[in-house]
Amino acid sequence: MATALASKLSRGRSLLGGLSNAFSGLMNSSNGMMNGTILSRQQRTFIQMGTLLKAVDNSGAKEVMCIQSFKGGKKGARLGDIIVGSVKESAPKGEVKKGKVDAVPKGKVKKGRVVYGVVVRAAMPKRRVDGSEVKFDDNAVVIVGIKEKNKNNSDGTKKKMEYHQPIGTRVFGPVPHEMRTKKQLKILSLAQDIV
Amino acid sequence: MLGCANMATNSHLLLPQALHMIPRIPTLSSNNLGVSSFLPRASRLSLSRGFLNHSGSNFIDTRKRKEFIVKAEESSEGETEAVVENVAETGEDVEATVAEEAKSPRKPRVKLGDIMGILNQKAIEVQEKVRPVPEIRTGDIVEIKLEVPENRRRLSIYKGIVMSRQNAGIHTTIRIRRIIAGIGVEIVFPIYSPNIKEIKVVSHRKVRRARLYYLRDKLPRLSTFK
Repeated sequence: MATALASKLSRGRSLLGGLSNAFSGLMNSSNGMMNGTILSRQQRTFIQMGTLLKAVDNSGAKEVMCIQSFKGGKKGARLGDIIVGSVKESAPKGEVKKGKVDAVPKGKVKKGRVVYGVVVRAAMPKRRVDGSEVKFDDNAVVIVGIKEKNKNNSDGTKKKMEYHQPIGTRVFGPVPHEMRTKKQLKILSLAQDIV
Repeated sequence: MLGCANMATNSHLLLPQALHMIPRIPTLSSNNLGVSSFLPRASRLSLSRGFLNHSGSNFIDTRKRKEFIVKAEESSEGETEAVVENVAETGEDVEATVAEEAKSPRKPRVKLGDIMGILNQKAIEVQEKVRPVPEIRTGDIVEIKLEVPENRRRLSIYKGIVMSRQNAGIHTTIRIRRIIAGIGVEIVFPIYSPNIKEIKVVSHRKVRRARLYYLRDKLPRLSTFK
């Protein structure tokens, strides 16, 4: 475990690479807080099953845990992908007041619901065609659909769902312009800031 | 090495077959030294190599030719000049001899390991003419105007503190950090990218590091720039 930590450290902080051996010896004794912040810096990775994401719209959900990633393939979802998630925490009922501007819309999402969300911010860096990279400090989704019973087309084939309409009416925080290529134009128009 | 082969044939075997080759040779011998060959030269070299190989088989064994090459290396200089002057003069020949005599200090050979460095330098020079890049160091607060093809119209503006600068020739990048709408955002820009329309250093903050990754753990206040 010490070697694994050391290798992870050397990616991000080469200064500590040499010191990590000394630290691992001290890990038992010294104050846990200091060690936690220095040694637990991880390489940012995909959004996969179990990842907790912030819901950054006013759909009623606050925290969503990823269950499955649609286009992510085996490794998981990245910025701009759609995931299936379960709402772990939702806005308490008391917060919603009548007449307030950001009153939660009718299709309010409660804890335990299975929802579809599009990842609008990811801690994993996303490369762009011009050679630049963008990364955010947190993982966030905008909820674009709720799971319902399978509806089939009239000819019996499986209906393909396109998730482009967010449930909420507001989006908080910056949004990358990858949303344009992912056809999430409504989210772009609602966003406060486009990165 | 090819040039030496030519010299060998010149100095030792002025056969009638060789004579018709000679008008080509001066152009080779003028830059016989070193592979300071930029592409146009290289193409000419390759052409004449084919030519040489074809007629080389007529009158000389390849092994023997190589031996001549070894001998001819040092003594070649004086001999080629003499030979070249004797031969029927085209415009190219005259120029070649003049060039040969003028640059008598030998041009240093370009080694394989230097090529990427030289290519990068050239690419940077070309880009600097289009848009000069200011001196950017870690800790500078910069403003970047970027043209994004997806965004059509206006230029996007990115402001923030330079967290790090990675030098890699033409792909030298800087990493900008800023708190946007409450969330920290880091963007890596290649500074010689043609999409970047302007880079301006707004101010500077004193830092004692080359990479400011500690800013990620600090208060957002330290990464906020109006």
